[in-house]
Amino acid sequence: MVNDSGQLYTIEGIAAALIMLFTAYLVLSATSVYTPGDTHISDMQLEQLGTDALRMMNTPVDNSTSKSPLQDLLYYNGFEGQFNGTGFNTIFLNYVNNVTGSEIDNAPNGLHYMATVTYYDIANKTTGTLPLYANRNLTGGEHPVRVTEWVIVNKTFPGGGGGTDGKLRAVLVEVLLWRD
Amino acid sequence: MAGLNDDAQWIVLMGFVVSFSLFFLAMLLNQSTLVGQTTAEGVLDFPKNDIRDVKDVMIASSQYSSDPSKFAIIQEDITALALSRKGAVVTYTIISASPTDPHTHISIHYNNGVTEYNEYWTSL
Repeated sequence: MVNDSGQLYTIEGIAAALIMLFTAYLVLSATSVYTPGDTHISDMQLEQLGTDALRMMNTPVDNSTSKSPLQDLLYYNGFEGQFNGTGFNTIFLNYVNNVTGSEIDNAPNGLHYMATVTYYDIANKTTGTLPLYANRNLTGGEHPVRVTEWVIVNKTFPGGGGGTDGKLRAVLVEVLLWRD
Repeated sequence: MAGLNDDAQWIVLMGFVVSFSLFFLAMLLNQSTLVGQTTAEGVLDFPKNDIRDVKDVMIASSQYSSDPSKFAIIQEDITALALSRKGAVVTYTIISASPTDPHTHISIHYNNGVTEYNEYWTSL
């Protein structure tokens, strides 16, 4: 006959072991608490990505031209209030989604954006905003970052002023960029 | 205290130790949610890209500074847009290249209320 007087101790030992394992699990998982500082790290990364893409677009491709692709897209044959939005979409998505060893298609990284052009309305002394392109509508639930690029473009903008007689204007391209 | 049963003193003491350490751990966990808050805010608040962009467009506009009527419009655009869209006071003056001095000089001023930045830029 086996002596069974230690059963309660055995159960207590097993319970203690489980409690210790659970404690170790709690301690290890506590180091991955998602703090507010961590959310800003991805924001900073996204902001830098968008800024770099716009900056690349606003650089002339070679020394045969003095106009950057972004200046050409905004100029768009000089049509007032219109820009080459689809051309912007192609180049911008190409830049922000360009990753090693992957086919470039429509936003494989889940990056979405809404781009606008802000100009100074000389006649009314206000700023106006025109849509450039958006590959996804902003619904309000997103958490976008804003990236901007200054562009000098030879174009007429609403409100007239200097642009009407072919004079140069400085406008601000603003892009709301988010990941989902 | 003669005759008082004091067998459980160790158990009571350990109970106190455990409860205080749990309290201490809860405080640590509570504080950890704020880790990096001020650091991230500081990095995000500093307008690094804004200053770079506005400096670039000022340098780009300097090639038109020989034509005052063109240049005044660009300068007005930059000042007005920086104030309304970036919340920053931006002013700059350009000293164009001349026969005696082949360099272009730009005096850059940027102030968004938190960060003030001044630079005197000289072309190569």
